[in-house]
Amino acid sequence: MFKKILIANRGEIAVRVIRSCREMGISTVAVFSDADRHSLHVRYADEAYHLGPPKASESYLLIEKIIKIALASGADAIHPGYGFLAERADFSQACQDNGITFIGPKSSSITAMGNKQMARNTVRNAGVPVIPGTDGHGDLSDQSLLEIAPEIGFPLLIKPSAGGGGKGMREVRNFEEMPDLLAVSRREAESSFGDGNIYLEKLIQGARHIEIQILADQHGNVIHLGERECSLQRRHQKILEEAPSPFIGEDQAMRDQMGAIAVQAARSVDYINAGTIEFLVDKDRNFYFLEMNTRLQVEHPVTEAVTGIDIVKEQIRIAAGEQLSYQQKDINLTGWAMECRVNAEDPFRDFIPSTGTISHSLLPAGPGVRVDTGVYSGFEISPYYDALISKVIVHGETRDKTIARMKRVLNEYRLIGIRTNIPLHLALLDNPSFLSGNFDTHFIEDEILLDSEISFDAALAEIAALAAVLATNQHDQQSAVVIRRGKRDLSNWKLAGRREQTE
Amino acid sequence: MSSDRYYATIQGTEYVIEITSETRVTINGTTRTVDYQPLKQQASCSLLVDGKLYEPIVYQENGGWEVLIGSGRFIVQVEDERERRLRLATGETSYQPGRYILTSPMPGLVIDIPVKEGDQVSKGDVLVILESMKMQNELRAPRDGTVSRIHAKVNGNVERKENLLVLE
Repeated sequence: MFKKILIANRGEIAVRVIRSCREMGISTVAVFSDADRHSLHVRYADEAYHLGPPKASESYLLIEKIIKIALASGADAIHPGYGFLAERADFSQACQDNGITFIGPKSSSITAMGNKQMARNTVRNAGVPVIPGTDGHGDLSDQSLLEIAPEIGFPLLIKPSAGGGGKGMREVRNFEEMPDLLAVSRREAESSFGDGNIYLEKLIQGARHIEIQILADQHGNVIHLGERECSLQRRHQKILEEAPSPFIGEDQAMRDQMGAIAVQAARSVDYINAGTIEFLVDKDRNFYFLEMNTRLQVEHPVTEAVTGIDIVKEQIRIAAGEQLSYQQKDINLTGWAMECRVNAEDPFRDFIPSTGTISHSLLPAGPGVRVDTGVYSGFEISPYYDALISKVIVHGETRDKTIARMKRVLNEYRLIGIRTNIPLHLALLDNPSFLSGNFDTHFIEDEILLDSEISFDAALAEIAALAAVLATNQHDQQSAVVIRRGKRDLSNWKLAGRREQTE
Repeated sequence: MSSDRYYATIQGTEYVIEITSETRVTINGTTRTVDYQPLKQQASCSLLVDGKLYEPIVYQENGGWEVLIGSGRFIVQVEDERERRLRLATGETSYQPGRYILTSPMPGLVIDIPVKEGDQVSKGDVLVILESMKMQNELRAPRDGTVSRIHAKVNGNVERKENLLVLE
């Protein structure tokens, strides 16, 4: 087993990895940018080394520097987390070249799955169903794509060959709007991934996004840990995930079949470590391979909750050459789990990112609750990294009980000083379609409206008016006190400043 | 606490709120027992109204208040007796929010300003597109109005809270 692991990441996921390392008796090395000296992942680690300026390209993406720190600190392995270098084949390769274990798949597997078109070809050859598209034809010009489009049929989807996260993706409803959208998509793909290649895919309407977690060791054992329902998204970014999927529900045959196909897809690229096969599922329960994520997923805790398996520990054990701790028959899903991603953004102002200092953080607690976060009271949210600041995970006996628990928990959670999307989650958790498990990947954008003018609660409005008046009154009283103390040799400004510091 | 009368407005609905003692207020003539405990260093408070507990988060925003309770958000304008008299003396019949200064919610790069000075805009129109946190963000008009002044420049970097544009 490893003695020391470097975590090449930041925020909640770096904290998450450190926790497993500590429980396994492994020392941890953190790395940090100028913006992160006070971050929790640095405070929780055994050692920490500075990388550079806040911009990711000058810090968390510096392969050579991270390798150098790993060698100098004597780390024998690197965990990449998700994002940043997690799906960079050259990083996996650089680790190997320097005698450091990369806690993840081989660079050849990352390459094979990283290019969407290549991945689709590979899994299709292994007998895995894929969504009909143009990828069999290689990289095509706009001219050729326009010629093939009617064969696929509208609506369709333009997708970049590289990258993910919804960047460069465009829905095309008809032939007329296609030329413009091709140009936009290519431009976005080029600027985001340095690769302007795109392909077309049939758009499955009313589709659900359901994914299967797999684990694969170096001894040829591959198992799956059931599914996660990830249909609830905003702009192709997942917002709320659950396990199991209410759509699959009691249909164990479907779960087994998807699991078997996911295992087959992983085997087709000699996959090792934890990975996720994403599927699109249509209304008639047909499912199609979407892509493989060759890393730990943000939403892995819901699977941990229902299986009782610590996925990060399994990743570390696999990388150290050990056999999987479980066989497929050992995997049983218990109860229901749900995760809400808490983002620093203002749901009442078009989800604009919110930066600033968290003046107060009161974490929810009690039965069945887990919070993975990298922030705390006094922490400053900088504009350099993504908006995910916290994940709230709850576990309950049934879906209904889990939803009730999540509502209780989000109402307890206080994050003050910045705006968060917690109001969006609360609205979602009260929505009848969500409660009945009836939703697709467009649900949040189509159905959830957060304009307070639409859902105006008169009784709460009165309380809001009162709260604002009491706050105004308190302000007035404080200024009045300062004026009455006018004889002091301190100016009102100084007094006000002093009061601010002591409050 | 002396007797203080305030006028709060939420989306055109007025609430006349009088603080009669430390523990009593009247809201539109109805007396309520309150226990107001601001939480130190926080834009939050524990508020008991006739025995019911609330924990609203109260932020100062653009000269007014923004109150968050659960999944609800309320924009509240508050005037005291003197401010109200002044306003009525100038002949305004209902509360008119004055100028709205659009400030940058975060440091970033101005990608586009799809309006120009003098433009009439409606609530929800995009005023400025700002890039930050690797995302392009559309800053929209919170209400109808006229763009009276544009401070921001396309391709310019802006700091947090920097004035971008004024709406009258």
